[in-house]
Amino acid sequence: MKNDLATFKNAAWLGWQMEANWADPFLFATYSIVKPITGTLILVFMFLIVTGGETDKPFFSYMFVGNALYMYVADVMFGVTWVIHDDREHYMTLKNVYIAPINFYAYILGRAAIKIAITSIGVLVTLAFGVLVLNVDIAVGTIDWPLLISSLLLGLACICIIGLALGGITFLTAKHSMGINEGVAGIFYVLSGVIFPISILPTWAQSVSKVLPVTYWMEGVRRGLMPDAISQLNSDAGFDVTALGGFSNAFLMLLLVLSAVLFLVLSLYIFRYADVLARRKGKIDWTTTY
Amino acid sequence: MNGTWLMMNLRAVRGRAYPRLIGLTREPSWMFFEIALPLLTVSAYAYIYKFMAAKPEFVGYVILGGAMTAFWLNVLWAMASQLYWEKETGNLSLFLVAPISRMSILAGMALGGMVGTTIRAISTVFIGVFAFSVVFSLTDPVALVIVFFVTLVALYGMGMMFASLYLLFGREAYHLSNLLTEPVYLASGFYFPVRYLGFWTAAGASIIPITLGLDALRQIFFPSGAQDAFLPIWTEIFVLAILSVAFLILSKFSLDFMERLGRTTGRLTLRWQ
Amino acid sequence: MELAVETKSLTRVFEPKKKKEGKSVVALDSVDLRIEHGELFGLLGPNGAGKTTLLKILSTLLLPTSGKAYVAGFDVENEFHEVRRRINMVSGGEISGYGLLTVKENLWMFSQFYGIKTKVALERIDQLLELFNLEEKKNEKVRTLSTGQRQKMNVIRGFVTDPEIIFLDEPTLGLDVNASKVIRDYIVDWVSNGKNRTVLLTTHYMAEADQLCDRIAIIDNGKILACDTPDNLKRIVKTNTTFALDVTMLENKDALGVIQGVDKFMFSDDAEKGFTRLKFVLTDESAVSDIVSEIVKSGSKILSLKKTEPTLEDVFIKMVGKGLD
Repeated sequence: MKNDLATFKNAAWLGWQMEANWADPFLFATYSIVKPITGTLILVFMFLIVTGGETDKPFFSYMFVGNALYMYVADVMFGVTWVIHDDREHYMTLKNVYIAPINFYAYILGRAAIKIAITSIGVLVTLAFGVLVLNVDIAVGTIDWPLLISSLLLGLACICIIGLALGGITFLTAKHSMGINEGVAGIFYVLSGVIFPISILPTWAQSVSKVLPVTYWMEGVRRGLMPDAISQLNSDAGFDVTALGGFSNAFLMLLLVLSAVLFLVLSLYIFRYADVLARRKGKIDWTTTY
Repeated sequence: MNGTWLMMNLRAVRGRAYPRLIGLTREPSWMFFEIALPLLTVSAYAYIYKFMAAKPEFVGYVILGGAMTAFWLNVLWAMASQLYWEKETGNLSLFLVAPISRMSILAGMALGGMVGTTIRAISTVFIGVFAFSVVFSLTDPVALVIVFFVTLVALYGMGMMFASLYLLFGREAYHLSNLLTEPVYLASGFYFPVRYLGFWTAAGASIIPITLGLDALRQIFFPSGAQDAFLPIWTEIFVLAILSVAFLILSKFSLDFMERLGRTTGRLTLRWQ
Repeated sequence: MELAVETKSLTRVFEPKKKKEGKSVVALDSVDLRIEHGELFGLLGPNGAGKTTLLKILSTLLLPTSGKAYVAGFDVENEFHEVRRRINMVSGGEISGYGLLTVKENLWMFSQFYGIKTKVALERIDQLLELFNLEEKKNEKVRTLSTGQRQKMNVIRGFVTDPEIIFLDEPTLGLDVNASKVIRDYIVDWVSNGKNRTVLLTTHYMAEADQLCDRIAIIDNGKILACDTPDNLKRIVKTNTTFALDVTMLENKDALGVIQGVDKFMFSDDAEKGFTRLKFVLTDESAVSDIVSEIVKSGSKILSLKKTEPTLEDVFIKMVGKGLD
């Protein structure tokens, strides 16, 4: 356990060195702030053009918060996969880490932890911008902290777990790993109620949405962060816009826990299988110039 | 410049385009990712417009913008920042030592990537149209060809200028490419008409060729495009033509300047930056 | 007639990006070098001596801080276009190229950057692939090659453009004996078979430098310490020649120590194996024949004879104060 913690700590330190120190601090800070905010502003402008500037509508907050949270999905999942891809293809250190007497999961999670920390800066800055400048409906007094914290942590765990599975796949493919990553993140973006409620999707797509953990994660965090806005959204529309309104908070958390467990089992299996196959095929220290 | 110099550089363009072109056939799996992935973003934005009950043309704008992101990303990642990866593998040194213009190498990269990019763009349009039942109507085919041509020349000229940064900088320039993805989507009006950003913002964003290119394409493909337009089509074509020439000239100077700076500081061949 | 390579007080200093990152590094310090056309010139030095920095300046990848460098008579700083038409370079351990191209395609692609017509390029490539025993790999993707095969391909890439001057930066680094031999043999043939073909080779391997080079410069801490033919360099180290002989048991050895030309004489008897080991340090090599006659006269038989001369390593150690790391 002590060794695993040391590995986690060292991996986190390495992740920090790679993410932060190789660029000018100003550029790094800009990158962590400008990129997330401008990504969100695209949606803001789309909203403003169509609605004529009504940012006090609950849908605006719904969309804004979802988009901010989505940064975790994209960056953390990508970050976990990138650890393996980068270490193997570009720095050619994967083989050295792999044969070291450390817990490889601890190493990957350590690198992911830094990604989460760095992404959190972007998420917080974006949310603060939304609240201070754009009237996003988050009031500290109304936050359901237990729901927020538990769903946030469970969701992040889910994302790391999914990232692990994708990382395993990265062992086996160099050129497709980024594409697969982007594809999975993109599927979540479209089907998990990130920027629009899943009720707008075709019925078959809604069925898929309800299998994805990110769908429940988004809903759980939104309910925790802005409970009033979510209930207002449904009452304004006159129907269950989110398609999850019938689920209580407890049931939502249960679904999140169950999907986290399911994905944990699946991801560990995929990772282990990919690991064995990669060793069999000699791909641990493979370089392809991708 | 003489005929021999020209032939040498044309051969260099062909040589550098070759790996990109042959990669299309040797690794056809790219097609799935290049077609499927852009559709995800396009779908997300299309659905959000649908949810907000925006007018149907807006969904069309999203599809058009999604198609054009292929070219912007090609410039940013497959051309400019490609030099970062060429430096890491040692190819950059070999390109620089060869007696050819750096623009030939970059032109080769651009042309080689153009086929895949165009396939991605066209498939985004077709599938988007099919999935969201958007009606595209072509009002001026001549204008379409001209707009497309000048936009791409200007865009790739700008890309060559960007590429010069990568001669000198390492990972910082890579971060810069990352930084320019979303801000350009916003400022250039990829997913909504740029005029809604205000005149001066749109004017400033017009330095990026794809801003005016997209605006003109919206007017060409959608009857109501004119009311969402920033400038008339032919004005935009004129500005794009000027930008084409300007960027090509600037990129030559920029490449020469950055290369000299890189040779002075010793950063041309420095890896692990 | 201009020289192939000429440097005059060539200096290169690397400044840190920020003051706190350390001191400036003097990679080259007033280097004066003159290499004639047709020479196979070696540059020998430990890691960090400045070899690669010198090659980068000469191949126009780096500018000097001060001083001048000329390649084929052209200034590397201001006439680099002319320099580039006449040179090529190959480094050891290169991973350049594109993994999805075949060997032949990769070589063709790089030839296009030198404006070589496809027909001519393919002919040269085929010839070189055969010479380097890589013909059976010509249609294999680059990413499937072993290290040695890859390096052979890299060397072919350098020579396929038929440059006037080629810079080889440790071209046999990390290669096995066979692969190294093929490359070395080719380098020697290439220089001798062409007019005005020049090679500037940096290497860690003393034997390689000794075997291949017409002249060698020893460089350390950015300074050229010596520059001459291998034989002349060895003469710097005034070590006498040593001969070691194993002979059948020799009872009377007294006469051997007093032969003219013998500076030192040592021996050891191995009664169990039945031979005597004799070691002579000679001031005059011609004393060997007298030694052999004396041994034969005494009734003993010579089982083996070995001569040890001053080596380039001895020269290097004397000049640099340490071996090559």
